Amino acid sequence: MTNLVQSQSSTLTGVNNDNLMLDVKNLQLYFPITQGVFARVQGYTKAADDVSFFIRQGETVGLVGESGCGKTTVGRCIVRAYEPTGGEIIYHRADGTTVDLAKLQGDELKPYRRDIRLIFQDPYFSLNPRMTVFEIVSEVLKVNKLATPAEMKDRVVALLQRVGLRPEYMQRYPHAFSGGERQRISIARSLITSPRMVVCDEAVSALDVSIRAQILNLLEELQADFNLTYLFISHDLSVIHHICDRIVVMYVGKVVEIADATELFVNPRHPYTEALLSAVPITNPRDRQAVGRIRLEGEIADPSNPPTGCYFHPRCKYAQERCKTETPPLRNLENEHFVACHFSEELELTNVQLR
Amino acid sequence: MAQVPLVTDPSIEFADPFDKAEHTQAEVASQWKLMWWKFKRHKMAVVGGIVVLMFYLVALFAEFVAPVHFTSYNETYVYAPPQEIHLLQNGRFSPYVFGYRFERDPASFKKTWFIDESVIIPVGFFVSGEPYKLWGFIPGNWHLFGSKNPEEPFYLLGADKSGRDVFSRIVYSSRISLTVGLAGVTISLLLGILIGGISGLVGGAVDNAIQRLIEILISVPTLPLWLALAAVVPLDWTPVKVYFMITVILSLIGWTGLARVVRSKFLALREEDFILAAILDGVPRSRLIFRHMIPSFLSHIIASVTLAIPGMILGETALSFLGLGLREPVVSWGVMLRETQKVTVLATYPWLLWPAAAVIIVVLALNFLGDGLRDAADPYQ
Amino acid sequence: MSDTLIEVNDLKIHFFTDEGVVRAVDGVDLTIERGKTLCLVGESGCGKSVACRAFLQIVHSIGKIVSGEIIYHRRVDNNFEETIDIAQLNPKGRQIREIRGKEISMIFQEPMTSLSPMYTVGNQIMENILLHTNLSKEEARQLCVQLLDQVGIPQPHRLVDEYPFRLSGGMRQRAMIAMALSCNPTLLIADEPTTALDVTTQANILDLMRNIQKEYQMALLFITHDLGVVAEIADTVAVMYLGKIVESGDVDTIFNNPKHPYTQALLRSIPKISRTREKLDTIQGMVPNPYRRPGGCPFHPRCTQAMPECSTMVPSVTRFSDGHTTRCLLYENITTKQFAELS
Repeated sequence: MTNLVQSQSSTLTGVNNDNLMLDVKNLQLYFPITQGVFARVQGYTKAADDVSFFIRQGETVGLVGESGCGKTTVGRCIVRAYEPTGGEIIYHRADGTTVDLAKLQGDELKPYRRDIRLIFQDPYFSLNPRMTVFEIVSEVLKVNKLATPAEMKDRVVALLQRVGLRPEYMQRYPHAFSGGERQRISIARSLITSPRMVVCDEAVSALDVSIRAQILNLLEELQADFNLTYLFISHDLSVIHHICDRIVVMYVGKVVEIADATELFVNPRHPYTEALLSAVPITNPRDRQAVGRIRLEGEIADPSNPPTGCYFHPRCKYAQERCKTETPPLRNLENEHFVACHFSEELELTNVQLR
Repeated sequence: MAQVPLVTDPSIEFADPFDKAEHTQAEVASQWKLMWWKFKRHKMAVVGGIVVLMFYLVALFAEFVAPVHFTSYNETYVYAPPQEIHLLQNGRFSPYVFGYRFERDPASFKKTWFIDESVIIPVGFFVSGEPYKLWGFIPGNWHLFGSKNPEEPFYLLGADKSGRDVFSRIVYSSRISLTVGLAGVTISLLLGILIGGISGLVGGAVDNAIQRLIEILISVPTLPLWLALAAVVPLDWTPVKVYFMITVILSLIGWTGLARVVRSKFLALREEDFILAAILDGVPRSRLIFRHMIPSFLSHIIASVTLAIPGMILGETALSFLGLGLREPVVSWGVMLRETQKVTVLATYPWLLWPAAAVIIVVLALNFLGDGLRDAADPYQ
Repeated sequence: MSDTLIEVNDLKIHFFTDEGVVRAVDGVDLTIERGKTLCLVGESGCGKSVACRAFLQIVHSIGKIVSGEIIYHRRVDNNFEETIDIAQLNPKGRQIREIRGKEISMIFQEPMTSLSPMYTVGNQIMENILLHTNLSKEEARQLCVQLLDQVGIPQPHRLVDEYPFRLSGGMRQRAMIAMALSCNPTLLIADEPTTALDVTTQANILDLMRNIQKEYQMALLFITHDLGVVAEIADTVAVMYLGKIVESGDVDTIFNNPKHPYTQALLRSIPKISRTREKLDTIQGMVPNPYRRPGGCPFHPRCTQAMPECSTMVPSVTRFSDGHTTRCLLYENITTKQFAELS
C-alpha cells in the first residue's frame, strides 16, 4: 500500500505509512499582491507555506490556529477550491493507488471532489437561498448524472432523515430553517456522494452551544456509520479536543506542531501551542486562580511580510537570537509528535491538567 | 415536485421533534412569492405601480380615452380656458360644464374668455363623438367621456393656440413619451448584462479592457453627441424615426452603468460560499451562471430598469423642449411644453403646463415602483 | 445609599412585526450591583441583547417597552442619590442623552459597525469627551491618548490619528473600550465583545476588562452565549431563555449547583477538555420560532424533566439562599403538591 520513494521525499520523517488517506507535502499557496492598472505583482501573501501533515483512514484530524493562520486555505486546497502554488496532496484511493490532487486540472478532479467533500462554516451563506433543500442536496447527483430522479429522491429522503431532518422539509427554501437545521442540510449535501473524507471548515463555530453539541454528536455518529475521515478546521480548542484524534497547529501559514490530541494538551512542545491552550476559557469559575496562564503579546504576523527566522519569535517569550535568523524545521520528536521549534527539548511548557 | 410520501421511521430522532410536519406559507415560498409579499407591504410602491399601469393603459387606448383627436382644432376656441365639471344638476347626478363667451379687446383684438353660466353643456361617460380608428384599424366613435353633443365645446384642461384640446393631446402624447425610449433602455440593458457579465466572469485582461472602455464611454458628453447626431440623420426621415434612431445610438454608449453593476454582482457572487459549493459539486459553468448567479440578482436588474425608464421620459421631455428631440406635427409632452417657453404665454395661459404634471406624476410613480421593487428584491434580509 | 445600581422589574419588550407580536423580552428582573460584573447568558434569539439595549433606550424601532421599569440609582454626589426610571424616558430626550455614552456606555460585538470609517479613532473618542465634559480640545486629546494607552494600544500617540480600518479586530475592540471609558461610566454594557475575536485575543480583552473594571469601579453587564467567558469574568450570572430569566445567582452557584434544567443542560453541552471523551449531552430540539412560543414554561418542550403541568403553568420565581433564584415548577413545592393531589 505504501510507497517507499514517497515517504523519503516527505518532510515528515518517521511516519508510519500504514492506512494513509491523505499525505500533504510542502503545500504552498501564494496569493500575488498586485498594484496599479496593469496589476504588477508586488509580492506574495503566503497563505500556506510548506504545510506538511497526513491524515489516516477513519481518523479525525484537527487543524487549529488563529484567524489568518491559513487553516481554511489548506482545507480549500485539499478540496481543490484553490490551486496550490506548490507541493503535493497525495490522496490514497480506496484501492490503494495514489494520486496527487495538487497537479490535477478541470474534469480530472471530478471523481475526487465526490470523494472529498467540504462543509462550510456559515450555513447562512453556503446554501443557495433560491433553491429548495431537495435541489441543493441533490444537485451534485443531477449535474454529474449519478442517479435517476427516482433514486435521487430516495437517497435525499434517506439522508435527510439520517441527519435529523424531516423529509417533508425538502420542498422548503433555506430561509425557513434555523442555523442548526441549515448545517444539517449542509451535512446532507456533503454526504450525498458517499464520500470517504469530509473537510469541516469551522462547521460548528457559528452555532449556539446546545445546537453545537447536537451537530458534533451527529458528525461523530455519521463518521461511525459511513466510515468517514474528517479534517476538522476550527479555532475552538475545546471542540477540537473533543472530536479529534490528532491535531495540527498552524501559525502564519506554517505548521508548528502535530501531535495526538491528548498528547498535545498534556505535553505541548511549541510555545505557540502553549499560549493557545492557555487562552482557552475555563469551564468552571473555580479555576480562575489557576497559575501560569500565558497571554500572547502583540498581533499575529502579516503573512505578506512575515518576520525572519521563526515566524512566532516576536511574540514568543522564550525567543533567543537563533529564532530571529533560523527557520526551525518541522521535526519528529518522538512517536509522530512533530514540532517546529529550536528549543522544544529544553522548554518547560505549561500544559492542560486533564481531569 | 410531487408530495413526498411520509416514510418516517419512528426510531429516527429529528432535530426538532416538536415542529409539525406541515409547512407554513412562508416556509415553502419561493423567491418570487417572498418578493411579492414584501412588495405589497410597500404601500407607495403599490400605488406607484397602479399609476404606471394606468398611464400605459391610457397610452394604449388613447383614441378611446381622448375626447377628440390630437389634430382636431377649432379656431373659435383659441386659448379657451379649462372648464370645471359640475356633477349635480337640480340635485340629480347629471354632469355638465358651462359654455364660453368672449369679449374682444377693441385695441389689441385679443379675445378674453369668460365662462358663460347661462349655457349648460351636458357631458357624460361613453359618449359617441369624433370617429377614430383604434390602433389605426379598428373603427369606432365611442369615447370614455366627452360632451354629449359633439358640436359643443368641451375643454377639460383648456385649449392651445390652435384651439386644440390640451387633455386629448396629453393623452396622445403619452404614446410617444412613454415608449419612444424603451428600445434604447432595452438595448442598454442587454448590452449591460452581456458585457458586464463577460467582464465579471472572464476577468483578467478582458475585464481590464472592458473597464477601460467603460471609462472612455462614460466621459463622452451626451448633449453635443445628440446635436451632432441630429444634424447628420437623413432629412427625409420622420421626426419619430430620427428620435428613435438617436435613442438607439445613445443606448450603445449608455450601457456602462448597468455593466458595472452586473460585473460587481458577478465578482461578489464568485466569493459566495454557495457558489463555491456548487463549483465543488461539479456544476457546469452555464448552469452555474444561469441557475445560481443570475437568479440572485435578476430582481435587482428589474428594479434598475424600472428606475431607468423615468430617465428616458425626462430625456425626451427635455430634448423636445429644447427643440433637439421631437418636433411638430408629432405630439409628445416635451413638444407640448415647448409652447410654454415664453413667459408671457405661460402667464396668460397657465393650463398649457398640464403636460408637465403628467411627466411629474409618471416619473414619481415609476420611482416609487422602482424603490419598492429594489427593497423587495432581496427578501432574505 | 445602596449598592444597587440598576434594578429591572418585570421588563417586557415586544416587537410588533407584520407576522405578529414577538415577545422578545417577557418579564425580566435583574439587579446590577455597583462595581460588579453581571453576565447575561443565553442562546441567540433569547432576547438578551434587546433587554440591554433598553438600558440606553436604543431598542430597534419596531420594539416597544410595553411594561416594567428600569430603575437607575444615580449618585449625584457622595451622599445623595436620585432614582430614574429609564423605561419611562423619551428615547430622544435630553435626560437619556446625558446618561447614554456618559454614565452608561456600551460596546458591541463588531466594533467596525460602531466606529465610523470616516473619522480617526482619536476624533471619535474626543467627540464623546467633548460632548459630555467641559474639557478643551487639547485636554480631550490628551485624555484620549491616555485612554488608548490604558487599554493597551501600542504607540497611542500615533494610533490616535489612525482610521479604524487600519486596526486589527482586537485593537478596534480596545479602541471601543477606550471610547466607552472616556466619560468614566458607572455601567459598561458589553454585548458579545469577544465573540468575533480569536481565543488568544479574547483572553487579552477579558483581562483588560477585568482590570479596567477594578480601576474604574464600574459595574459591567456582559452579554454572551459563551459559558467559558462567563466562568472567566462573571460575579453574578443570569441565564435567559425565550425572553425570561430562568435562573440567576452568583457564578459559583450557577456553575456548581445549577437548579434549572436549562442551565444544567447548557453546562453539560459544552465540551470539556478531559482525558475521557464521551458523547456530549445535548438539549433536544431547538429554540422555537418566536411566533410559535410554547405555552407554560417556555423551556418545557425541550426539558427532560418536564411534567404535564409545565405546558400550562408559567412558573414563578423560587428563591434559594444567597440571591439564587430560578423559575421552574420542580421547585415550586406547594404547587406541585397541589397538582399531585389533583391527579
